[in-house]
Amino acid sequence: MNPQSPQPPQSPQPPLPPEPPAAPPAPEAPAAAPSVRSQILVAAVGGGACSTLGRALADWPSPPEAAAINTDARALAQCGVPRTLVIGQKVAKGLGAGGDADIGRMAANEDADSLRALVSGHQLLLLLVGLGGGAGTGIAPVLARIASEEGLLVFAFATLPFAFEGDNRAAQAKEGLEALKAACDAVIVLPNQHLAGLLPPDASLPASFAFADRMMLAGVRGLWTLLAENNMMNLDFSDVQTLVEYNDNLCVFGYSETNGPGKADKALDALLHGPMLDSGKVLANAGAVLLNVIGGPDLAVAELNTVRRGIADVMRPGGNLTVGAAILPDWHGRLALTVLTAERWMPLPAEGENLTLSLQSPEPATPSSRRKRSKKAPATPPLPSPAPSPFKDTDPTLHDGEDLDIPTYLRQGKRISG
Amino acid sequence: MRRRTEPIVSLELGTSHVRAFVGEPGEHGGMTLLGMGECESVGIRKGELVHFESVAKCVQRAVEQAEERADVTIAEVHLALSGAHIQGQHNLGSVSVEGAIDEDDLERARAAARDVALPQDHEVLHSVMGRCLVDGALCTSPLNMVGRSLSQNVLVLHGNRARMINMAKAVKSLNLEIRGMAFGGLCAAMATLTPEQRYEDGALLIDLGAGTTDYIVWTAEGASAAGVIGVGGDHVTNDISHAFHLATPLAERIKLEHGDALLHPIFRTRRLTVQEDGLGKTARSIRLYDLHNVISLRMEETLGLIRARLDRQKLLTQLKGGVVLTGGGARMANILQLAENVFGLPCAIGEPRGIDGLSKQLARPEYATGLGALLYAEKTEREQASRSRGLWHKLVRLIGW
Repeated sequence: MNPQSPQPPQSPQPPLPPEPPAAPPAPEAPAAAPSVRSQILVAAVGGGACSTLGRALADWPSPPEAAAINTDARALAQCGVPRTLVIGQKVAKGLGAGGDADIGRMAANEDADSLRALVSGHQLLLLLVGLGGGAGTGIAPVLARIASEEGLLVFAFATLPFAFEGDNRAAQAKEGLEALKAACDAVIVLPNQHLAGLLPPDASLPASFAFADRMMLAGVRGLWTLLAENNMMNLDFSDVQTLVEYNDNLCVFGYSETNGPGKADKALDALLHGPMLDSGKVLANAGAVLLNVIGGPDLAVAELNTVRRGIADVMRPGGNLTVGAAILPDWHGRLALTVLTAERWMPLPAEGENLTLSLQSPEPATPSSRRKRSKKAPATPPLPSPAPSPFKDTDPTLHDGEDLDIPTYLRQGKRISG
Repeated sequence: MRRRTEPIVSLELGTSHVRAFVGEPGEHGGMTLLGMGECESVGIRKGELVHFESVAKCVQRAVEQAEERADVTIAEVHLALSGAHIQGQHNLGSVSVEGAIDEDDLERARAAARDVALPQDHEVLHSVMGRCLVDGALCTSPLNMVGRSLSQNVLVLHGNRARMINMAKAVKSLNLEIRGMAFGGLCAAMATLTPEQRYEDGALLIDLGAGTTDYIVWTAEGASAAGVIGVGGDHVTNDISHAFHLATPLAERIKLEHGDALLHPIFRTRRLTVQEDGLGKTARSIRLYDLHNVISLRMEETLGLIRARLDRQKLLTQLKGGVVLTGGGARMANILQLAENVFGLPCAIGEPRGIDGLSKQLARPEYATGLGALLYAEKTEREQASRSRGLWHKLVRLIGW
């Protein structure tokens, strides 16, 4: 993440992260959408992430609930996120953390109650942080822990420093990442160094930073759009939970965007042979992959299938692929793929195991036929359910002549109205 | 995959879940989790086997899943057991010594300690050695000390022979070798209590399981008391089902989603609409206050039974380290406050620790028993070289494998 580059990149751009996905039409259930939206909080911590989020919100037509958190009151006032929270007035005195993650952490602990109030009432926290700096690296794990204590599912999108930013920042980022992993349900990491492979060799410094930020936003926005908006193939929190169930809390994120004829093949090719997923190797090991497809009204079922099959083919047998898709009205001729998966997975299964797909057959996808995802079938059929009377085949639990299997309220003569 | 040390596998035979954990002991201590397999239990009630084939099937699923996730082949397991028949008996074994205490004296003291009178149909599950006394004074390392008498504190865990054999047989029917057996409550303590709590301050661990509530007490002398109340989360569910005339799965869901261990006046006026699945069932509403009342009465009673037992044994005053709660029941809202009311001691939820590679999903109180069984297994494996007793050897002979 980049605190120094508020301006957009000027140099020739590699494949661009998406323009702000406009709110898709929600003709059927306009009332239902806001409730899901209000369950998701997008929060940026630290200078870089806050200004990135601020810029993103500026051209996000129906923006999510968002908050910016920093120790630096001035930077926060300028970041452009409507809701801000200055923390650590005692330890940082309204200034930056001076590159010291301890200051960030102390500031967050100082204002733990405010952070708790901020996240409570939501169900999912999408946390944006540029690791390496002081405020973000220190605050993010504390915020994640508080949110998860409040019962939120916590996803962190984190950038790691470029190599030229120095060893100190790299070391601090690494420590921060470990702390973040311990506190989050999943951490999605964008190693800036990997992204460098996508940049032209002569890319300017601001362009590099801005590119990393935009990639991170593409991920946040892709996930948010799929969860919060009224799409033709929605994902829900349980899909996201499936993704994090087996992994070691570290997710890998891949993104590609194309346009014009053959866009599905091109996007797939960029994803499978690009550096973000390590030339597709990450997918080969993946046990579960979340694939988000964002396209225009012209998105063809065949394209969706091409993409789905392309990803499924490189996954290991038995891997679980969940696909979500959103149609944005102004995205004619455009297609963006976002992939979330874990880098380290369970070992390869025995041969002959079947590929489980949550989307089995292609169907004409129209808004009115938004299909419910078929629930993933359990690997083995369920066992016969136990008998309704739970204790009849055991010895009664006796204590001083009382049968404790009988409800306590009955034995104590308490009236329950029912 | 090549490994430097042999992985250890623990198998928790719980009333709600059968879980297998695979851990790799570090070369210099410590333990790394390699994988876990889990299967919802069928055929286990109140911690006891009631249907042999179902239990064997559950074990098979859990073990196969663990094998796949950990990329190992499992041939040997360590069991974590519970059941209302399991009891803890504290004993002090004393021997007279001459001159400096040597390894031999220690072994004699341990043997004397283990020699407790058991009910006729009971068998020793395992013994937990505590601190020694040399001439009546507590002592951390008695070796080479000079004294006239040496005493060894021990907590002997024993249970009904037939019930333990049944469980062991279900596991053995899958060609799994049983390397050891341990009391589930002890295992949960291994994963959650700090060394200070165990060896200095004293603490009480309560494992709120689905079928049973297990407890174990540590004082400065070591493990001092343990036992099982044959009441668990299933009783809470059954109480709800009974009070509001709901099917068990629905009662279970309501317990998980809306349960609370304390009564809150604001819920006097709030109602919860419940809808039974299936045709012809109409939606009804129940008062949340009543729901909480049913739960609270049960949980308070269960904790109260443990309190009464410890009170009789004069152990309540020796628990400076407080009370630690594990098991699925530890996730009930406000259970800590209820426990604090009952025991008048600081209470905490026990999240497993001491094992590397635990994701947040696994660092939860319901996994304490299975993960602690790994730690306990590693400890016994280390000590195994010099020891070769306990139930499982006898079981092997009894069953004839």
